[in-house]
Amino acid sequence: MSTFLQACVNGLLMGGFYSLMGMGQNVIFGVMKIVNFCHGEMLMVGMYLTYILWSVCGLDPYLCVPIVAVLMFCLGGLIQHTLITPSLGTKSFTNLLFLTVGLGLLLSNGALVLFGSEYRTITTAYSQTNIGLGPVTLPLPRLISFGVLIVISVALFAFLKYSTTGKQIRAVSQNSVGAEVVGINTKKIYILTYGLGTALAGVAGALLTGFYTIFPTAGASFGFRALIVVVVGGLGSIPGAFLAGIFLGLLETMVALFISPSYSDLIVFVTFIVILVVRQTVIIRRK
Amino acid sequence: MLKVEGLNAGYGAVNILWDISIQVADGQVTAILGSNGAGKTTMVRAITGMLKPSSGSVLFNGSELAKKSSRYILDQGIVQVPEGRQLFTEMTVLENLEMGAFSKQTKAHFQENLKRAYQWFPKLEERAKQAAGTLSGGEQQMVAVARALIGMPKLLILDEPSLGLAPNIVDDILNVASTMAREEGISVLLVEQDITKALACADRGYVIENGRIALEGAASELEANEHVKKAYLGI
Repeated sequence: MSTFLQACVNGLLMGGFYSLMGMGQNVIFGVMKIVNFCHGEMLMVGMYLTYILWSVCGLDPYLCVPIVAVLMFCLGGLIQHTLITPSLGTKSFTNLLFLTVGLGLLLSNGALVLFGSEYRTITTAYSQTNIGLGPVTLPLPRLISFGVLIVISVALFAFLKYSTTGKQIRAVSQNSVGAEVVGINTKKIYILTYGLGTALAGVAGALLTGFYTIFPTAGASFGFRALIVVVVGGLGSIPGAFLAGIFLGLLETMVALFISPSYSDLIVFVTFIVILVVRQTVIIRRK
Repeated sequence: MLKVEGLNAGYGAVNILWDISIQVADGQVTAILGSNGAGKTTMVRAITGMLKPSSGSVLFNGSELAKKSSRYILDQGIVQVPEGRQLFTEMTVLENLEMGAFSKQTKAHFQENLKRAYQWFPKLEERAKQAAGTLSGGEQQMVAVARALIGMPKLLILDEPSLGLAPNIVDDILNVASTMAREEGISVLLVEQDITKALACADRGYVIENGRIALEGAASELEANEHVKKAYLGI
């Protein structure tokens, strides 16, 4: 029983990261209708940024989160302005596919050149601290990260629902012609959206460093999972993405517990394919 | 107030509008009439800056708008109710109306303009919290008109407001448009293919055929015109 509870808690704590990644991907897809294939690499960039700030400036990884968020927002905005917006004009899905896949390769190989292939970790005074809660133990870094990402998720939801800019982002995602008619600057919204999505991935990376190893391809599995989250949770739905992320985390740990840890990727992607097939038929029936 | 002269516009190498010249007088309803594909919506897009005209001039109260951005033109007081309404269907009616307030000035006057919009369309107040996509076609058209009114137009462009609506609802919408022109001094440019209804509420009209102005005159003259009768009214 206690191993089951522990697995539930682990799944929940990990699922929060999939949620955060999925929400970023969802915002970008909702507004520009593009799949951001370098989303996972942005997480990896966030990890290395945190690593640099920690090793060079001696900053606590959690204090790095706001700095990483701002830097990643700027990086995302710049990429949108200089690369993606011009490609959107071509209306070619393949162009955008190659662009984001290419950016991802550039970033992970750039990290390989700069930092080498070795696994790096960030150790803090509380790295090994555990909190016992009845039958389950909660590693302190995972707990803090989860708390921070819950706050970020709620803040993102509130921003999109209530703020003027958030409403403009939703307006562009629902009807870009209508948005232009009422004078919304769609190019500005594109920059904000890609910046926001990138910042969310970067923050997920920063929050992972407390307990996860840093290496050039660390983002890949998170990037794939973000896509699953978007499909399972529903396009454009932030609460849906949040729940789908948690579901994915729980599914993974349950597979690891009851079958074998080495099967978790297999089962996750099989589930994904099954959901794709089922959803497809649902969508066809609705039409 | 609006004076379009020698306007040419199109998409890429395809020219759609040929040497269009029209005038919209203050406080009047001016109709642009024509069948599907005649170039009416392209003209609206060229006037509102969503499509850059290749040549010609668009004068609004004396200032040139032909090469300006759509946002700048909106700021000058030319607000459109686009063809097909283009609402934000998953947002509430109130959120849709909020989106109509695009500038500092329109934001500052939002509450009073909202009240006025609700006076025009009382149904929208009941439905304020409902997602716009769940409304009937007529109600959605009301949201689109109300959203434009929130933008404090000096010139209101209605692009094909009758599209897909029941005849009595079309009458309601056109009534609101002509009342607005007469009582509030908002000039209205009404773009329609339902020529009978449009001429009934317009002061002047232009008939557009294959991207060119074919006829112009007072609404009563156009109604009596043999070509209009034959080609559009089926008499």
